[in-house]
Amino acid sequence: MAKMIERMLLRFRLSGLGRLRSQKNMIESYLPIREEIVRQRSARAIQWMEFLHEAKMAPLGNAAGRPTATVAAAREAKVQALRDRYRLKEKALAQTRKRAEAKGPLSPEAIAGFEESGRKLVESRDRRIAAILAPSRRSSLSEAEALRKFLEVETEQTEILARKKAALRAKEEKHLDAIRKRAARQIAHLDGKIAALRKMVLERHPAQTGDADLPENVLLRLQNLSMRFGGLLAVDNLSFDVKQGEIFGLIGPNGAGKTTIFNCITRFYRPTSGEMFYRRNAVEVIRLNDFPVHQIIRQGIVRTFQNVELVWELSVLDNLLVAAHTVYRSGFFAQLLHTPGLRREENVLKAKALGVLQTLGLSAYAYAFPYGLPYGILKKIELARTLMANPRLIILDEPAAGLNDKETEELAVLIRKIRDDYKCTIFLVEHDMGLVMDICDTVCAISFGRMLAIGTPAAIQADPLVRAAYLGEAS
Amino acid sequence: MLGTFWKEVRGTLSRVVKHPYFGFILLGVALLIVRRFAELGMVSPSLYKSISSMMIYSIIALGFSLLLGYAGLASLGTAGFVGLGTYFIGHFSGTLQKPFGITLLVALGGAIVLGAVVGFVSLRIEGMYLAIITLGLSEILKEVFKSFTAFTNGVTGLTFRNFMMFGKPVPDAAVDQAIILVFVLVIIATLNIINSPTGRALLAMKNSDSAAQSMGIGLMKYRLLAFVLATVYAVIAGLLYMADIKFSIPGTWSLDFSLNILAAVVVGGAQSILGILLGVFMIFGLNMTVLQNIPFFRQYPDATWILSGVLIILVTMFYPGGLIRLLQALRLKIILLVRNLRKRWRKYRYGEDD
Repeated sequence: MAKMIERMLLRFRLSGLGRLRSQKNMIESYLPIREEIVRQRSARAIQWMEFLHEAKMAPLGNAAGRPTATVAAAREAKVQALRDRYRLKEKALAQTRKRAEAKGPLSPEAIAGFEESGRKLVESRDRRIAAILAPSRRSSLSEAEALRKFLEVETEQTEILARKKAALRAKEEKHLDAIRKRAARQIAHLDGKIAALRKMVLERHPAQTGDADLPENVLLRLQNLSMRFGGLLAVDNLSFDVKQGEIFGLIGPNGAGKTTIFNCITRFYRPTSGEMFYRRNAVEVIRLNDFPVHQIIRQGIVRTFQNVELVWELSVLDNLLVAAHTVYRSGFFAQLLHTPGLRREENVLKAKALGVLQTLGLSAYAYAFPYGLPYGILKKIELARTLMANPRLIILDEPAAGLNDKETEELAVLIRKIRDDYKCTIFLVEHDMGLVMDICDTVCAISFGRMLAIGTPAAIQADPLVRAAYLGEAS
Repeated sequence: MLGTFWKEVRGTLSRVVKHPYFGFILLGVALLIVRRFAELGMVSPSLYKSISSMMIYSIIALGFSLLLGYAGLASLGTAGFVGLGTYFIGHFSGTLQKPFGITLLVALGGAIVLGAVVGFVSLRIEGMYLAIITLGLSEILKEVFKSFTAFTNGVTGLTFRNFMMFGKPVPDAAVDQAIILVFVLVIIATLNIINSPTGRALLAMKNSDSAAQSMGIGLMKYRLLAFVLATVYAVIAGLLYMADIKFSIPGTWSLDFSLNILAAVVVGGAQSILGILLGVFMIFGLNMTVLQNIPFFRQYPDATWILSGVLIILVTMFYPGGLIRLLQALRLKIILLVRNLRKRWRKYRYGEDD
């Protein structure tokens, strides 16, 4: 009884810790987005100021025969557009002439007519360009007077503009500073709380080992796992450990029970007998047998499927957000009303998803729909999806199936990168021996649900039992 | 120089226009204007009546599309739920003269309980069998409506006069406006749900149960939620129906009604709000507004069913995504056609080869 209460208390405190951490994470990740919004807003304000300045200066400049930079640029653009239009007209004339020539030789009058039209085009173009570049003055002031006035106003106005801009920048800086300070204050506050809670947990709850003696560096332990489908014993009394931070490969001939083991770990199957222990964090070891399927991801275990299981109606980015389902904290009514809190969360998670896509080199597909994308890309999207829920253990079911050699090589690099960048452990089932031997730290070979050998890739390759199972050699 | 200014204005405008709510709010405003015209006698009252019933049917269809199009659960119990909504209102607001707030609470509570029960059933049973179970439930509800006379006034039907609010009856004009308001709000709520983690979770569940579960989406929670949402929508629609039509008989809430809602969602396009509105117009509105003015259909009113049937067959054969897909395809075709024509013209006129 006391043990149960203690365990419940621990669960309660740990969930509090998780909430505090996710709050802190939220504040940290929203800060750059918020800063960007402030910057954009002040940039827009500056644009508006410049526009007002221009609106004041442009008529004076026109009167003084000194177009301001914007006016000059606008005129230049107009002239360019005009030139383009006349080039088209010339082309059209040439085309008409070509068509006329195709009917038969041209009479001298016709040739003269075409040449006349060409000349007229050039003339009118030059006239209109001249009119744009030097418009007629509509001012009661004489040119010298207008120029004097223009210069006078210009120095004054430029000064005012510069002052206003500086004031705005200072305000923006102050605003940003306030935001940063507030975030820092909140984070410091949360840090304090987190540290206190963490200390309390470590003090009051001696390292929980569940029912197993799980060493510090072991993340997942299968203990005497068996799975029976009717008369078929798919997994037979299997035990092994997956260590923290390694890439663990599970190999075996077809029908050896590899995927069954995965399904047992992720609770799609209920094992007939045996225990599965998982180190959730520094102090807590849980028994996976106690959790329903949809709670597994909350413990930090994410899996992919052998056949690609994406949501075809959603864009790639939204698919990644589906995988971040457990990270969201807004409730149903917040979603119904699209509250600012939810929008903040969406922004943070979208930024995260884009980051993940960039790491995997999928940025180009972020807004595409997965339907019809190449298989290699789909596999990579599945991989990207696992990274959205802050995993500690990623379970990959045949990641290289259906990929060509080049894609497989890329995948090897990617899996290592994910392990190093996201600090997680990877557990994979694979048929591609090249890939397994290349990336895995530990390989476990099974056949008909029974363990053949476990060890480094080199040891496995040399193992006579494995050779017999794969090649049928007499052992 | 003015360019900057216009760019700014255009940017703001396009942000407003591209906002997902914009079109539907505009639709609401247009409906308010039509209602005003009806009041002034420029639109015939019967036409306006059919427009407001279309709005009510659209609300039901939206709830149903969350169920079918998003969660992938087939249900034929819609009619029963709507009927229950009408009787809740008719009994509590009409017969017992309770204030509106209490009626609304009772109706929503009933909807949530009923939806949760059906959702719970859906955890065990899927696909066609779920449709049959919900159909059975709907038929049971219909029989209950027929025999539970204290509550429903039996086969003769329940007549309803007016809501009481703040001690006064609510005028018809206010009811009409409320229908438009609720219609727009329901659309906005649906949009919000679709574009939030819940909507995505429902879609993930429809694609693959196991993948959804491995991503932390509990089947129980979301199936219950989908059914509760659909029943709440249906009960809200029932409330509006009673306020608008003021009469409810058990015969209305039969399989025909559920099938018509299903047809509207399938014909229009189960995953697009615009598509659903279109579907409701094709199945219910076309009959009420256009066909009834044609002498042939006035003589043989049942002939409209033939049209609906043909429409359903054609749409499911050629555009399984619904009529909205047809419109989208048409739009794309027109864009391509214009581009192509433009290219050919340029080639003819200017001799460009690109």
